[in-house]
Amino acid sequence: MSTLRVTQGMLVGRSLDSLQASYERLAAAQEQVSSGRRINRPSDSPTDTAVAMRVRASLKSVEQYTRNAQDGIGRLGTVDQALSDVTDELSRAREIAIAGANTAASSPESRAALATELEQIRGGLLDAANTTYLSRPVFGGVTAGTAAFDSAGNFVGVTGQITRQVGDTVKVRVDADGQAVFGDGATSIFADLDNLATALRAGNAAGIQTGLAAITARMSTVSTAHADVGGAYKRIEQAQSTIESQQLDLSSALSEVENVDIARASVNLNLQQMAYQAALASTARVMQPSLLDFLH
Amino acid sequence: MTGTFSSLNTALSALRYQRVAMDVASNNIANLSSEGYVRRRAEAQALGAPEQIAMWSRYDGVGDGVSSASVTRLADPLLDARARREHGTQSYLDTRVAVLSRLESGVGEPGASGVSAALADFRNSWQDLQTHPEQGASRSQVLATGRALAQAINGQASNVDSELAEQRSHLLDLVSQINSAASSLAAVNRSIADANGGGLDDSDLRDQRDVLAMRLSELTGSEAKARPDGGVDVLVGGVPLVVGQTAGTFTITGGVAPDGTSDGAPLSFAVVGSAGSTAVSPAAVGGEAGATSELITTTLPGYRAGLDSVASLLADAVNALHTSGYDLNGNPGQAFFSYDPLNASGSLAVALTDPDDVAASSVPGGGLDTGVAEALGNAQVADEAYRRLVSGLGTEVASSRRLGDNQRLLTTQVDNAREQLVGVNIDEETTNLMAAQRAYEAASRVMSTMDSVLDTLINRTGLVR
Repeated sequence: MSTLRVTQGMLVGRSLDSLQASYERLAAAQEQVSSGRRINRPSDSPTDTAVAMRVRASLKSVEQYTRNAQDGIGRLGTVDQALSDVTDELSRAREIAIAGANTAASSPESRAALATELEQIRGGLLDAANTTYLSRPVFGGVTAGTAAFDSAGNFVGVTGQITRQVGDTVKVRVDADGQAVFGDGATSIFADLDNLATALRAGNAAGIQTGLAAITARMSTVSTAHADVGGAYKRIEQAQSTIESQQLDLSSALSEVENVDIARASVNLNLQQMAYQAALASTARVMQPSLLDFLH
Repeated sequence: MTGTFSSLNTALSALRYQRVAMDVASNNIANLSSEGYVRRRAEAQALGAPEQIAMWSRYDGVGDGVSSASVTRLADPLLDARARREHGTQSYLDTRVAVLSRLESGVGEPGASGVSAALADFRNSWQDLQTHPEQGASRSQVLATGRALAQAINGQASNVDSELAEQRSHLLDLVSQINSAASSLAAVNRSIADANGGGLDDSDLRDQRDVLAMRLSELTGSEAKARPDGGVDVLVGGVPLVVGQTAGTFTITGGVAPDGTSDGAPLSFAVVGSAGSTAVSPAAVGGEAGATSELITTTLPGYRAGLDSVASLLADAVNALHTSGYDLNGNPGQAFFSYDPLNASGSLAVALTDPDDVAASSVPGGGLDTGVAEALGNAQVADEAYRRLVSGLGTEVASSRRLGDNQRLLTTQVDNAREQLVGVNIDEETTNLMAAQRAYEAASRVMSTMDSVLDTLINRTGLVR
């Protein structure tokens, strides 16, 4: 559009408009630099806002997975230690059973001594079976009580699995099934040891052999459970390293979406500052002269 | 006809005209920055032979001087109409952008303190409960994050509600502004008609008339039509608001009560005139009032409804899982969230008060099973809906802002075109002033020359020294 006439009002209006626009751009550049963020409100980039919100939610989930994994590791460590103790106790029980099986070579007194030792081992096993983590029995399933087995060897826990979520789709069991490891009531290892002690005292060779077989079978059950726990431990460790790298990826993705490139933003800020100063200077120069300055 | 004294009259007419020219120039300079002032020009017309020559009357003169025929107001009605239209659209978009930006800044996304973060915290607290179901603290934590989430959603709902209330009272204010501008315009129309009848200069009145018509366009997107008597008629949404010297009353007939509250009915407008009331479709109203009515009718309730559906989606999904579970004492779970279906986002609250009532277990019997906690810890029910809502709002704000920016270019261009015609240029006026001054001096010189000529003729003729 060709300009036919230019008036002072027009110059003033135009100058004010462009000063305002320039100052707005300066403010936007300044906001980006001072907040360090490219998206300060949804309208700055609606699509990236949705992405940023999704990434933020994932980041929070991943932080939670880290906490879950740490708890899982602690709990599995306790189970692992308890099962090691159980294996040790069972090995000693087996040695005693083998020693007692030699009925001909042993006197009733020595067999009674073996039986007493066996009862102590039973006590140790019961303690191991009632091992707690954060005051919850690790073999008691989802029980709210403090013990998994009573002194008679009956399972008093509540059957159920304790799992930890350590990834979007990764769920790991972090306890061991007490009933599977120790048995329950009359079929439990505790009953087996009781029977073995009775057989030792009575010199019942068949009873001792049955007890020995029961202990051997129990050892293999425990080692299977132990292997499961070891496997779960490994899975959580793997999940932890996945989580760590995921956390890095998500953080960098978030900063890619939300944060400004500081170098670029600073350059832009300088540019806008210069533009604003130039606008001010040119306004000052254009506003001054009129014909009146040159008439006398 | 050339008489002895006619040159004196010629000089006198020049003095008169140059005085008018200087008056006009100084008036232009004085009104350099007056709103709505349109520059004037003193029109000169040479006086000479009569237009009709009679048979016995011959004109043998060379001209009888100048007359100041009129003072012209240099306005272009077409440009004025165009400027009114663009200003109406501009104020519509500006109002919309201002309100939406305010709403948007209350959303607080993406950030660490918005609803989105509260949703994630709520989920995580269920997972913490899954880790430590035996600790009362994890149950209290679930209740606390649930309350924080409910409050975050309540906060946004009350933001929208207060914005709605503000817009309703703003609309009432706008209506009174519209009516006062309309009645002022009717009064100016009357004055213009009177001035025309009396043959007086009505330029200042016309300036006022254009300012008021522009104001009405900005307020309502109205259209102004020129009248033969110099006034304008104003139509809002096609319904006459000002006709000549009478102004109707723009009224809200439904939707907003006089105290600024909502009366539940859809928003409707009417112009009440002497002939009765004529309904104006809210969609046909533009400008600030149109933007406000659209915000009240569509935009704000739309966002509020989205928020309601997020709240009810969340509450229903959490409640369905929670009631399928069992609390610490082994009793079936109660509803976790409560809400009023008519106002889900505003009334969302945690219904439980006792941490023991948190139903984390999926089996009865008071055990520490955490099946429900696990399911709730993974349930991302409302997240997607909320993200869609926020990014929808962001898109709307961004597109309104873009439209506003584009419109500003157009409005500025039209304003400049108008300013080119009606604006006062100091250099021009100074030059006019100087020219008039010099012409005045020259006319005075003519006068004294004539005086001296007559002096010679009258006092010296026939005298011999």
